[in-house]
Amino acid sequence: MKNKIKFVLILMLIINQLNAQENVPVNGYVRNYTGVLTKEPNNFSIIQNTFDVNFEKRSDKIAFKFNPYVHHYTDKKLEIGLREAYLDMYFKNFDIRVGKQQIIWGKAEGVFITDVVSPKDLREFLLPDFDEIRTGITSIKLNYFKGSHTFEVVWAPVFTPTQMPDDNSIWAPEMDFPVVPTWDYSKAEISPNLENSEVFARYSFMGSSFDFEIVGGYFHYDDPAMHLTKQIDPATMQLSGLTVRPEYHRVTMGGGSFSVPVGDWVFRGEGAHYSGRYFQTENPEVADAAIEKDNLHYMGGLDYTLGGVKLSVQFIQEYILDYEEGIYNDEMENTMTFLAKKDFFREKLWIELFSYIGLNNEDALIRPKLTYDFADGFEIQGGANIFLGDKGRFGQYDENDMVYMKLKYSF
Amino acid sequence: MMNKISLILTAVVLIITTTTNKSFAQLNGAQIMQKVYDLPTGDDTQGELTMTLVNKQGEQRVRKLKQYIKNEGDIEKKIMFFTSPADVRGTSFMNWSYNSGQDDDQWIYLPALKRTKRISSGSKSDYFMGSDFTYDDLGDRHPDEDNHKLLREEMVNEKACYVVESTPKDEDYMYSKTITWIMKDNFIGLKREFHDEDGNLLKTLTIHKYEKINGFWTILKTEMNNVQKNHKTIMEFSNVKVNQGIPASKFTERSMTMGQ
Repeated sequence: MKNKIKFVLILMLIINQLNAQENVPVNGYVRNYTGVLTKEPNNFSIIQNTFDVNFEKRSDKIAFKFNPYVHHYTDKKLEIGLREAYLDMYFKNFDIRVGKQQIIWGKAEGVFITDVVSPKDLREFLLPDFDEIRTGITSIKLNYFKGSHTFEVVWAPVFTPTQMPDDNSIWAPEMDFPVVPTWDYSKAEISPNLENSEVFARYSFMGSSFDFEIVGGYFHYDDPAMHLTKQIDPATMQLSGLTVRPEYHRVTMGGGSFSVPVGDWVFRGEGAHYSGRYFQTENPEVADAAIEKDNLHYMGGLDYTLGGVKLSVQFIQEYILDYEEGIYNDEMENTMTFLAKKDFFREKLWIELFSYIGLNNEDALIRPKLTYDFADGFEIQGGANIFLGDKGRFGQYDENDMVYMKLKYSF
Repeated sequence: MMNKISLILTAVVLIITTTTNKSFAQLNGAQIMQKVYDLPTGDDTQGELTMTLVNKQGEQRVRKLKQYIKNEGDIEKKIMFFTSPADVRGTSFMNWSYNSGQDDDQWIYLPALKRTKRISSGSKSDYFMGSDFTYDDLGDRHPDEDNHKLLREEMVNEKACYVVESTPKDEDYMYSKTITWIMKDNFIGLKREFHDEDGNLLKTLTIHKYEKINGFWTILKTEMNNVQKNHKTIMEFSNVKVNQGIPASKFTERSMTMGQ
């Protein structure tokens, strides 16, 4: 704890020095985020104080960005992290960025289809702002530009997995095992060597009448597959034990996305084919109860503004190819998202409703939100996260309905 | 013989001059608005824009951005980089407007999302950054979209002006009519009134400052006053440069994501 406080003090000193002597522009925010569960005894789901500071300096040929953050909790240790820290070199037709960076792909909103480069922080499920869900990845990114065309190649030397909630967190995903399992983490680490590095590529076009991207990647899937080993009591032939071995597998992904305006509408689409993913199965003939299957993931969306209300709807489908009976996931999993947003009083007040709707399990996450600009750069936000259903991606958190408030000062 | 030729030439010149003067004197509303639309603006313009929003209590909110505009023949490209307040810093907005009448292409880059998003250009009646200017007010509305009538000529701030009423051909347009005061000597609009769908006065636009920069008339300070809501927006342009040769690469995704 003392070391962390020292770090924060040193950070403050650096801020002061950089700002005063090197004329490095500093911006960022301070935020308080308090959430309380609506179910009695109304536990606080989160009390978080955040200081996020961003140093960014740029000239014609070079730039750097250094973006550390500090989360203070009342019930957890102080968390100090680095959202991004990178160096840029600019040439006539290409740029090179080296360091920890967030790289965002695709046209879908709130879902991750071709957006596979930056890993996710799901410690509070999908509730944080999307810029906080996507974490930085240490990589080298090269962009080549020719008119409206962009070619991008990313090489990530080290695999960074999705950050999952602690086992005792209210956001820990439901895992239904018949007996209390033993966890084997022997294959949960990917050695940081050249062979295990990851590569991604993207071509994008942004021009008159439409935009599109074609993407590909050869990387480790950010979520682990659960390999199960069952121990059977020979006397009773009953299950006596279970070992769960999380393992990250290498996948190959190819896909693309587009965005086309038609009159007052904007049509969006995104799709990807994954090869090499593993799915859990009940089929006793499958070793480790995890079977390799290709899958498709795609979405279609529409944006429209009606009477000043920005509306957006998306339909998302995940489809397992060559499906077999026994696989835990449905062959097709259908999800919809819905967004309605409107500002009042000259953008001083925003009212927003965002929802995920799981069609397979009839579950949903409803997120009404109200944001008020108390003063320039200072916003007060109040909202609720309401989980509906009793199973599925959203229904599993039915007990976690919450209301929250965020105060944020940007400088 | 030479005298005859001189006489004929003099007569031709007189006829041309008289005809020309007569045609100026008889300019109708549509011709005046076409001249306003055709005012040369240079191939490109750049500058810094400060918008001050003032509500009926007199409270002010200030928005600042850098703006680049380039005319590429049939397409006018505009890109804006927001610099203030802090919570919108790094946001950029790009608009491509087509002379052919094709719908504008528009994109927005939000630094928090790190993604350039295409947005619908249909919402031209939306207010720009909470100001009193709609996106349409900031655009270059083609005179063919309205019917124009010269109402009268009158003096405004000691400037002789045409007063032209423009009625939209599209009945669903957000204004039922606009009335514009146009200086006779340079065809710069000095003042405009916007009437709502019920025909009542909604907003008044006043030009406070204009200068010739690099040989082109440039508006440097305007004020839009919403008389119904008692709210106004003052727009001031500074560091304006015309025809500096802004490269085409300024109007790309690369530029939007870099924020400059």
